[in-house]
Amino acid sequence: MRAGWWKCIAASVPAALALGCATFPDAAETRASAEKIVSASFTAPSPQLLKRLEQDRAQRLCSKVEDAALTQEEAAEVIELARTSIQYPASGKLVGNWKIGEALAHDGAGDRIARGVLEKRKENGGLCQNCHALARGEINVGNVGPALTGFGTKRGNSPETAKYVYEKVYNSWLYFPCSNMPRLGANKHLTSDQITHLVAYLIDPQSPLNR
Amino acid sequence: MPTRPIRVAALAFACLCSAASSAQSPGEGLEIGRKMLVEDNPGELWLDRGKRLYHEKRGPKQASLEQCDFGLGPGKLAGAAARLPRYFADTDRVQDLESRLVTCMVRLQGFDQAALAKSAISAPLSDGSDIESLALYVTSRSNGMKMDPPLAHAKEREMYKMGEYLFHRRSGQTDFACVTCHGESGKRIRLQDLINMTEPAGIQGVVSSWPAYRGSHGVVRTMQWRLYDCFWQMRLPELTYLSDVSIALTTYLHRQGHGAVIEVPGFKR
Repeated sequence: MRAGWWKCIAASVPAALALGCATFPDAAETRASAEKIVSASFTAPSPQLLKRLEQDRAQRLCSKVEDAALTQEEAAEVIELARTSIQYPASGKLVGNWKIGEALAHDGAGDRIARGVLEKRKENGGLCQNCHALARGEINVGNVGPALTGFGTKRGNSPETAKYVYEKVYNSWLYFPCSNMPRLGANKHLTSDQITHLVAYLIDPQSPLNR
Repeated sequence: MPTRPIRVAALAFACLCSAASSAQSPGEGLEIGRKMLVEDNPGELWLDRGKRLYHEKRGPKQASLEQCDFGLGPGKLAGAAARLPRYFADTDRVQDLESRLVTCMVRLQGFDQAALAKSAISAPLSDGSDIESLALYVTSRSNGMKMDPPLAHAKEREMYKMGEYLFHRRSGQTDFACVTCHGESGKRIRLQDLINMTEPAGIQGVVSSWPAYRGSHGVVRTMQWRLYDCFWQMRLPELTYLSDVSIALTTYLHRQGHGAVIEVPGFKR
């Protein structure tokens, strides 16, 4: 139900009714003024951290107001940007250690900013549990993304699957342009090595996810 | 103010939360806990304090807030919060309830704006800030009334459109916009329900229930805090208290939730 029930919201306001919807600023004006207030409305411990507010090209394309769809060209651009973003581990080995991956999948911390301090750890958590059902019987899991329970049982652990999972976690927009899922590798939230451990957690037959 | 019963309530809530893991379905135990506590909302203590602070002569100018104009005229509180944010000619700005409150505390009472902003969001399990109590009291004077902020002034419409833009603006290392988590029904982050703010029932539930008693913090929280906390979890820089981004988002959300019947203090996990 994001169909535009509010579109002519002014119609419900008698004062604005006389003026009509046309008096709202247009998209370009809104964007210009909104970007101006973004740069003046936040603080961070360092100028580098303030740059998190700046959108890259793909984020801009994926920020359509309401349900406006991506054009085919835009989708192709998002996919191409994703393709060029992906870096593979130097070792060439895409499948790491599922035990490390399991801990990562249940770790939602790292890199938040509060009261002038960056929550800096050696490595960030993988955030998976926030949005995905994981091993059978786990209750404290989200459902924004699809359930991953039994992922490897269903999809196998071939090199092709390993590559797909690695790329999907590294930059999900390669396969689903503008997906809700963070581009965890491309955004440097996770390292390549961390992602290989998540690959193992997802596809290794010994992983609790597949038992 | 009596803080002991509040801490007891917070503890009871924490126990209920941990008991939730043994409930039949995710969220069920939490829901039971919420219902049990909502009937005896500790936020009422903040409301009483806010009322007292509103009438008390305070600050360098030893004045009360009784002449504060929240948009319907000096001292006219009934229904004022239901019409916020709105444009104020005397500041030439669109202001939400909290920014208007700060304007009055500075102009009428002589408090220092920077000091107010710094202490506005209180520490968990504290007695809360004056602003939190006052914002709750002033909002409560619109209880039972329908949210209906105006879009008559050009600056209100500009704020509304900026809020809409910002609600959908993805950025940062999680690529999140507000809509990423608040655009679909029936979704959860772990066990926490995510409200679908793109449909009327969801957004109305939000704009009618802040300020709210936050069980896990043991204090009353305001809309400004709610927005700050979202940006924190999104791993973005810290949203400045009363900043234009906070006003734009509040303008957008309050307008989207028009028709909601205000009932504060709300009660949150």
